[in-house]
Amino acid sequence: MTTAASAAHLTPVFEQNDVAARARQVTKAYGTGETRVTALNAVDVDIERGRFTAIMGPSGSGKSTLMHCLAGLDSVSEGRIWIGDTEVTGLKDKQLTRLRRDKIGFIFQAFNLLPTLNALENITLPMDIAGRRRTSGGADRAWLEQVIDTVGLSGRLGHRPGQLSGGQQQRVAVARALAARPEIIFGDEPTGNLDSRSGAEVLGFLRRSVDELGQTIVMVTHDPVAAGHADRVLFLADGVIVDEMHNPTADSVLSRMRRFDGKRTS
Amino acid sequence: MLLKTSLRSFLAHKWRLVLSLLAVVLSVAFVAGTLVFYNTATSTFDRLFAATASDLSVRKAQDELTADSPGRASTVPVATQQKLAAEPGVEAAVGNVFSSSATLVDPATNKVVGPTSGAPTLTGNWTESPRKSVDITSGHQPQGADQLMLDADTAKKAGLGLGSRLRVIAESGTHDFTVSGIVTFRTTNPGAALAFLDTPTAQRVLLGTEAYTSVELFGDGSRSNDELKTAALADLGSGFDAKTAAEQQKENSAGVGSFLKFMKWAMLGFAFLSAAVGIFLIVNTFSMLVTQRTREIGLLRAIGGSRSQVNRSVLVEGLILGVIGSTIGIGAGLGLAVGMIQLMQATGMNLDSSSLQVTWTVPVVGYAVGLPVTLLAAFFPARRAARITPMAALLDHAAPAEPRANRIRAVLGLVVTGAGVAALALAAGSPGSTGGLLLGLGLLATLTGSVVLGPLLVSVLVRLLGGLLPALFGPAGRLAQRNVVRNPRRTGSTAAALMIGLAVVIGASVVTSSMVGSMTSQIDKSVGADYVVDGGHGALTPAMIDAARRTKGLDHLTEQRNVPAEVTLPDGGTLRTRLAVSNADFLRDFRLPVATGSAEAVFSGGGLSVGQDFADEHHVSVGDQFAVNYGEGRTQTLRVAAVIKTGNQLFDQRFFTDSDTVANAMNGQLPLTGVAFGTASAGADKAAVLADLQKSLAEYPQLVVKDQAGYKEMVKSQFDQLLAMVYGLLGLTIVVAVLGVVNTLALSVIERTREIGLLRAIGLSRRQLRRTVRLESVVIALFGALLGTALGLSWGVTARAVLSEQGLTVLTIPTGTVVTVLIGSVLVGLVAALVPAFRAARMNVLAAIATD
Repeated sequence: MTTAASAAHLTPVFEQNDVAARARQVTKAYGTGETRVTALNAVDVDIERGRFTAIMGPSGSGKSTLMHCLAGLDSVSEGRIWIGDTEVTGLKDKQLTRLRRDKIGFIFQAFNLLPTLNALENITLPMDIAGRRRTSGGADRAWLEQVIDTVGLSGRLGHRPGQLSGGQQQRVAVARALAARPEIIFGDEPTGNLDSRSGAEVLGFLRRSVDELGQTIVMVTHDPVAAGHADRVLFLADGVIVDEMHNPTADSVLSRMRRFDGKRTS
Repeated sequence: MLLKTSLRSFLAHKWRLVLSLLAVVLSVAFVAGTLVFYNTATSTFDRLFAATASDLSVRKAQDELTADSPGRASTVPVATQQKLAAEPGVEAAVGNVFSSSATLVDPATNKVVGPTSGAPTLTGNWTESPRKSVDITSGHQPQGADQLMLDADTAKKAGLGLGSRLRVIAESGTHDFTVSGIVTFRTTNPGAALAFLDTPTAQRVLLGTEAYTSVELFGDGSRSNDELKTAALADLGSGFDAKTAAEQQKENSAGVGSFLKFMKWAMLGFAFLSAAVGIFLIVNTFSMLVTQRTREIGLLRAIGGSRSQVNRSVLVEGLILGVIGSTIGIGAGLGLAVGMIQLMQATGMNLDSSSLQVTWTVPVVGYAVGLPVTLLAAFFPARRAARITPMAALLDHAAPAEPRANRIRAVLGLVVTGAGVAALALAAGSPGSTGGLLLGLGLLATLTGSVVLGPLLVSVLVRLLGGLLPALFGPAGRLAQRNVVRNPRRTGSTAAALMIGLAVVIGASVVTSSMVGSMTSQIDKSVGADYVVDGGHGALTPAMIDAARRTKGLDHLTEQRNVPAEVTLPDGGTLRTRLAVSNADFLRDFRLPVATGSAEAVFSGGGLSVGQDFADEHHVSVGDQFAVNYGEGRTQTLRVAAVIKTGNQLFDQRFFTDSDTVANAMNGQLPLTGVAFGTASAGADKAAVLADLQKSLAEYPQLVVKDQAGYKEMVKSQFDQLLAMVYGLLGLTIVVAVLGVVNTLALSVIERTREIGLLRAIGLSRRQLRRTVRLESVVIALFGALLGTALGLSWGVTARAVLSEQGLTVLTIPTGTVVTVLIGSVLVGLVAALVPAFRAARMNVLAAIATD
């Protein structure tokens, strides 16, 4: 309990324009009465702009729920959430859709791409949906080329997802998330299905997009190595943020995680 | 074990099978309903005839040739009735007077009373016979020259009651009566109108002589009907004809039966067509289920399931669907039969829905339709399931794309379609029976070929029109376009179901509109007459002809009679036909296309015309002599005076001859006129003369009096009625096809749950998602409609060419129908997408992404 209290105390408060996403007293519960399960319990969190944040925790800790709530994919039971200046909580489906389309990028663990579209079409899909012409506007086009270049896919743009390896597919997914220049990108175990080499590649791209392109990224993971690429790691347990770590390494994350396991088994 | 897996799987996917089940139910219900309806209708009539037939019915023996000539009812003398009444074993001998050629008219409205088509209007004498079909339910029997009794159904429909005035127009003239009583049918009313007079009045009005049309004998039970018959015929001598109750019943049933049988086969035909369409729907469902269960089946194989076990488990699932669908369908068929009986009641044929006849054939035929349909539909998906390897269990979720429409398909499809097109082309060049055979083959081959080629055509079409959808509809257009081609086989078979129904619709409408077009052009080309007066069911009496002739501004009126005759050809063969008998005025009303000889000679004493194809077939030429027999010993010799070109329905297969010549042979007793043609005097206002002509004949509302334009309109409306019936029956096929589109979309939406979740997560709005589903639906429907239209046009055009010698000289493409079909298919696509699009848009984004 002492760690939980100190963790809440440790959470730094940023100026508003330094914050890409904010959660205040967010509670998410399923069911009612005796069957009530609390997935998130009065969570306060600020996601810093231009930084790479990892959310870690044992399974069932609520880390995925937190990400889904932050991204507006899931509703909250109590509390408020902002993406940039926009309050997410209370938005109708239409506004939520616009928010996801214009301000948020997603990278899922698997099945990120539409099998009927080729790599380039998948990358530009969010812009197509928004009705933005990918040919118009030199700035957009230059950005797109830069993104494609960054993830190293120039030779494979005409391929369908079925013709790409798992690592390549995730790189396309990263490129798609970057291409629309969203306020924030959410990754749900983006390397969970990849071998360690492809995983490292994808994490490298995420890192570079933060460092070189100034992107904000939030990633849920249970892999200490993946978390080691982040600027900051938030640790969740039983729906509460129990700790955080700045400039982590895989080893420091791993030893922190071991303490969870130790605490759990004790 | 096997059954258990199949049953479990069936139950697990029951919602995905709902539409397949519905398709089976609809087809089986239609088949079962038709059979039950047919059986019920036949048994109703059988009972009616059994209840009313006399033990022995005696008539004047008639030469077959004169039996059906209008206006010459043969009669039995009153003395014969008295003689028969005195026969031993006879309890009663009732003299009947009945005619079906009299017309009932309400003088207050001058409208025809009773059925105007189908069932007859029977006018006769009221007699006290032991077996009656009706009872007097109000008023009293007719007494005297101005009383008449009417059946309740007819009275109700015409708004008549006791004391109402009713007019009877018979060949003897027009007679007015007061309704003295109302009778009600004891059994089912077959839809006929019945009017009773007292016997002397009936004899005067209907026969013009004191006699009977038949004598009905009722035995006292001491002798069998056959014994009665033998005794009666022996007693009366030759010239009489007697029929026992059993013989009468057989004759009556045959008459009603032929109409019902035609209906039965037409409806069964359409039911089978919709069952065939249903196959496509079920194939799609099972294919998708197999695809979705690839991993599951792989696991089954990995733990030791054999190929044949997997194969059988899918087939058994099909069987379960067939059994359930057929069982529900048979039940629904009973409901449908009740519905049809109610529908028939609306048209005047009162059948009894409380005594449905469900024979053992109904379930047998029901299952015989439902089970093969589902088994056949499950066959190919089952084979594909059996080919799934154990490795599939280990692969990622991504279902293997179904094999692309392959080369074998292309070759096979092109060969079959090519053969079909060749057969159609050959058929178009060779009218007649070989053409008909080729047409049938071509029809079948092009249909099969189109079904086989469908999946390839989908890819080709979408490649050709590739840019159109995204350009018009943005990202939703692109997504829809890709979805259409991601599984060409599925799209192809969904569209094929729609194609079949629409091809028949378009083909039938090309043929019928060509019929109307040809008829119109033939009338334009060969008819000079301004007006036609048609007797309808009855004939034109001399009084009517006189009334018409008195019309001011009418130059002349040409009568045409149909005289039954047996013609003996020079080569020794004989031919039963009806001679078209008229006079020289006929040539002023019609331009006979004479090949050889002279048209004038045909109507100038002893002449006869024959058609070109008849002349060719029997090697007849101008100058040949024919022996003609009119029956009852009246014969004469006619000489071929002209050969008439074929290709005009008005003249084909007709034998024209002169009325004075025939009247000579028949001792002046020509049958009544069937139809008359009139021409306005030079300079007269044709419209005014038509109005006058109609006014002259106003007291005969049963007559059809039209000018050329009106006559063409009438011909067209008759074809339109036929076409409407065909469309109505095809409606079932199209309903099943639309269900197929809904089915494909609904299952696709389920299959693409994760994709939809992903799309929604990255910002596709509900509206865009719905639009994507709608566009896919419209593209499938439009694709089916285009194929169907192309197929239907090629069938229709070929059929027209094959029938060109049967009078279909002009090809008319019903552009209105084609445009309607295409626009309609867009609407069908939109309607079919309603529920699947709604469901797709309602999906919870998170749950959809998490779907396995």
